[in-house]
Amino acid sequence: MKDLRRYWELFLFFVKVGLMKQMAYRPHFFLMITGKVIRIALLFFFFQAIFLKVSRIGEWTWEQVLLLFATFHVVDYMMSITFGRNLSSHLPSRVQSGEMDYRMILPANLLFFASLEDVDMMDFFSFLPTLGFLGWVLWRLDMAIAPLQVILYILLIANSLVFLYAVILAIATTSFWTTQSYGLAVIFDNLMKIGRYPLDIFEGFWKVIFIYFVPLVLIAQVPAQALLGALSPGFLFFAFGVSGTALALALMFWRRGVKNYMSASS
Amino acid sequence: MNTIRAEKLSKTYWFCEKEAGIGGSLKALVSGRKVYVDAVREIDLDIGLGEIVGFIGPNGSGKTTTLKMLSGILHPTAGSLEVMGHTPSRREKDFLKNITLVTGQRNRLFWDLPAREYFDFCRVTYEIPSATYRRNVDYLVGMAGIGEILDVPQRKLSAGERKRCELVAAFLHNPSVIFLDEPTNALDFINARRIRDFIRETGRENRHTVILTSHNMADIGQVCERIVVINRGRIAFDGKAVELYNAKGRKKQIRVVFDGPVSTEALGGLGTMRMMNGQEVRLEVDADRAAAVASHLFSNYPVKDIGIVDLPLEEIIESIYME
Repeated sequence: MKDLRRYWELFLFFVKVGLMKQMAYRPHFFLMITGKVIRIALLFFFFQAIFLKVSRIGEWTWEQVLLLFATFHVVDYMMSITFGRNLSSHLPSRVQSGEMDYRMILPANLLFFASLEDVDMMDFFSFLPTLGFLGWVLWRLDMAIAPLQVILYILLIANSLVFLYAVILAIATTSFWTTQSYGLAVIFDNLMKIGRYPLDIFEGFWKVIFIYFVPLVLIAQVPAQALLGALSPGFLFFAFGVSGTALALALMFWRRGVKNYMSASS
Repeated sequence: MNTIRAEKLSKTYWFCEKEAGIGGSLKALVSGRKVYVDAVREIDLDIGLGEIVGFIGPNGSGKTTTLKMLSGILHPTAGSLEVMGHTPSRREKDFLKNITLVTGQRNRLFWDLPAREYFDFCRVTYEIPSATYRRNVDYLVGMAGIGEILDVPQRKLSAGERKRCELVAAFLHNPSVIFLDEPTNALDFINARRIRDFIRETGRENRHTVILTSHNMADIGQVCERIVVINRGRIAFDGKAVELYNAKGRKKQIRVVFDGPVSTEALGGLGTMRMMNGQEVRLEVDADRAAAVASHLFSNYPVKDIGIVDLPLEEIIESIYME
């Protein structure tokens, strides 16, 4: 319990430092937030343009696609505020430069530092309009949502974050051997973006790949389907099972990676 | 009681060989050949509580690698290692709360924020009780002379100021074992002296066990009681500083300035000529003959100034490196 409080205090500390770092360069801070909000708005208009031509994408209506889109960005922001860049960018760079040395002598969990040391407060402020957008989409859906569906939606968003955490951690851990994993991280980042589209746009082979082998379907589609009451119990277990297994494997891989850390010459 | 005990400690690194140019990079990607380097080879080390040990060696001799194994950053390839009863590579909380590491090459402080923020971060990370924290901050800040710059962002400070802030941060949790890897690297002599004073005073007052690596012999000579010389991954000397002077067959250096021209051939017979600069000469002689040689010079040559000193530490260590 005492340790939990210490980690919470450290996380709040990272939040404070993240905020102070961003505020140290105010013009940059406001410009970046504006840029991020514009980027989401442009994607919204992109979808709107598609729905001017068609009324459905597979089984998905315009409002349902917006729910998928909003869910994806909620997950994406939660990831980038916390572990996203920490693992995909900062960790490999610290392994390469030997800056992990100081983290390794701190009496706290190394993975905690590797995952959360740089809390991206700029993305936090861009996240708030995205939450507002999600609220607007839910209002537009105009359907009765049972409390169980809401609970499942929240749990599956958490599950989506666990899945992404496991994949990104595994990719970042390869840097202990290769000293650079940026290429792999970029490939996954681009692949992950597919998760904001209904996977009904894919047929046959690719659909099977994105559901069962690189289950991008877990990122936003599964939570959105749960909220819409369109998720089978079997797939629910599949979703939790995949994320749990991926996390266990990633943590084992991480422990091997740390043992292999070679630092850098002084 | 030994704080640090290492037996046949070894570390082998590997890296992929790569030829120059894009072609070389592509070739390394497809069929890179692994090259193994024995950075540390079967070293034995026993260091007691409160000892201040200078760890010296040329670049690439294995001293930083040893320090990183002692602090738990690197896993040894072979051998056994215990620090305060812990195996460092397990990185147990009790072990990490009792050590610290400062390197001259890297900075741990938050670049955009003042040192005070990092101190607070240390308070939380090391679970330092508030009263102890306040007492330690007051004491260490006073000793390092950084009271005026506590609220200045790190990027606005000079290298010496940053290093002093970092030392305070590293000592806040009152560690028992302190690893310092070239802490005065790239600092001017005033800042280097301040840092030496800081290490010596806090080390002695609190009975810290300190291991210090440095290329600066003033760091070693003024701070350390015991010296370990490491070369090509092996320990070449381990003993008191005074024993190091004796290790090379107790020599003294006579520095003499003449008041007129002197035949160097005649002087060569008295000892080994180390330097001749105009009318200033440095002769290396056996210690037990030093007084007699000095007296001979006084009696037979026009001497303006004369002094007998120990051999410079650099020269003794250089001769060990050359073996």
